[in-house]
Amino acid sequence: MSDPTSSHVIQIGPFHPLLEEPVGFSLTVEGERVVAIEARMDYIHKGLERLAQERTYDMVPILLERICGICSVTHSVCFCHAVEDLLGVEIPPRAAYIRTIIGELERLHSHLLWVGLAGHFIGYNTVFMWAWKYREPVCDAFEMLTGHRQNSALPMVGGVRRDIPDEYFPQVRRTLDELAGQTARLTAAVLDDPVLAARLKGVGVLTAGAALDFGVVGPTARASGLATDVRRDEPYAAYAELDWDVVTQSDGDVFAKAVVRLLEIAQSIRILRQCLDRMPAGPINLGTLHVPRGEGIGRYEAPRGEDVHYVRSNGTNMPERLKVRAPSFVNIPSFKASCLGAPMADVMITLAACDPCYSCTERSLVLARPGDAPRLASPGLIEASRQKTFAIARSMGRAPDLDLE
Amino acid sequence: MDAAMLQPRLRDAFGTRVDVAVRSPKRLYVRVDAADLPEVARWLRDTLPGCRLATSTGIDLRDGVGLFHHFAVNGSPLVITLKALLAKPEPHAPTLATQTAAADWIEREIHDLLGVRFDGHPDARRLLKAEAMTGELPLRRDFDPGAFKERSGERPDF
Repeated sequence: MSDPTSSHVIQIGPFHPLLEEPVGFSLTVEGERVVAIEARMDYIHKGLERLAQERTYDMVPILLERICGICSVTHSVCFCHAVEDLLGVEIPPRAAYIRTIIGELERLHSHLLWVGLAGHFIGYNTVFMWAWKYREPVCDAFEMLTGHRQNSALPMVGGVRRDIPDEYFPQVRRTLDELAGQTARLTAAVLDDPVLAARLKGVGVLTAGAALDFGVVGPTARASGLATDVRRDEPYAAYAELDWDVVTQSDGDVFAKAVVRLLEIAQSIRILRQCLDRMPAGPINLGTLHVPRGEGIGRYEAPRGEDVHYVRSNGTNMPERLKVRAPSFVNIPSFKASCLGAPMADVMITLAACDPCYSCTERSLVLARPGDAPRLASPGLIEASRQKTFAIARSMGRAPDLDLE
Repeated sequence: MDAAMLQPRLRDAFGTRVDVAVRSPKRLYVRVDAADLPEVARWLRDTLPGCRLATSTGIDLRDGVGLFHHFAVNGSPLVITLKALLAKPEPHAPTLATQTAAADWIEREIHDLLGVRFDGHPDARRLLKAEAMTGELPLRRDFDPGAFKERSGERPDF
């Protein structure tokens, strides 16, 4: 047994303006090694499930767009899937294509946000600046099509509320063409960079067995070799008619998760181009629908993985119960498998590799021997993470950043 | 495997202990006694490759608290929901957290919000209910937000 007086608790979280949700992590470390990890989730429990029970089926998607700062399309469309499962209806083809377009634009800006943050955590601030620069036109395209950069207010049960104007498609196509070149260059630079490979390969490994046990979803599962993607497993919207690939990797480490997301950016652009080319004409929703007694389950592939909504109706115009399970709820606990035993310098990037809605701040708690123990907080962890990258770069005789020009 | 193919296999394995309803080729609802939940869950995960606990739902119903475990299967559109009705006033069910890590947090959440005790849960601490809430169960129908605000000293809405 190691000396208990040498173990420290490092608090990550709960607040940081950069990140969308407060979550607190307590890492117990002995020396450089993480021996225990705990998460605290209760900071912004908004009671949304109960709020949804007091709103009509038409109002609930608007409420659910506000669950997450990124996944606004995800939760509103997932709720619609659940009610459409209950009703047993199919939405009109044009609505399916519109949902696909806004969903993939959301995936693009979410993945680019993650690429930037991941770069920031390991000291590659060039990646951070470039990825977020590339992200901006995606949000602009979203605004052009829907009227808002994040919350489209489009999804409704039985289709979408408003049409998106075809005359903007040429501009969106130009945005995609530019983005395709930029992200291809970024992906090639990341995949070829020997420092990044040395820094991220073998770090924070989640095995396929642990991935299934924790029930992780999305890129976190696909990087561990589980070929699960709701867009292919239970095709919704227009995905069954489109030509695209599910990206998987087998190593389960941080590098594999980065590769999955980078390659998925290319797949999203591929899907969007096909949608713009094939956009059918016709109605965009089924009008007002009466929801009878019953229950339905909706699934949706969010940027972070499978989102699940369960809806139960008692025949009134409001759901009797709505259960929302966001992908991070199952991805975050897998840190117990991927962080334990890891050196402290790898924790930030391992936590970030799941793309959780988590945050960090300058808070510190030292359990053993207060006063004489080193005080650590998340900036210290980020610094430790960067220093490890720089040391690897120095040992290889390379500059510790990407050359994108 | 679709829902209609799984139905007879569930009946073969568990006989009258399961009440299987096929709602569509991809949605199967199985009513069981709470005591049988771990055994049926284990059977599903052993029988269907890639089967995982996607999440669980708790509902306050007139006759008890409904506990629904939703299982998804990687690579398939199938969702299997195990449903058990837990008697009030002290609803409890055997935990699944000892057989799959995916059950850990969701059972703690249901304990927080609906007061369901999960027997044998290895770490049944509070997960996400506000600290100011002590006995309150915010997803029970008899939860009174106004009374809670008054008790916790929060200013009432006006």
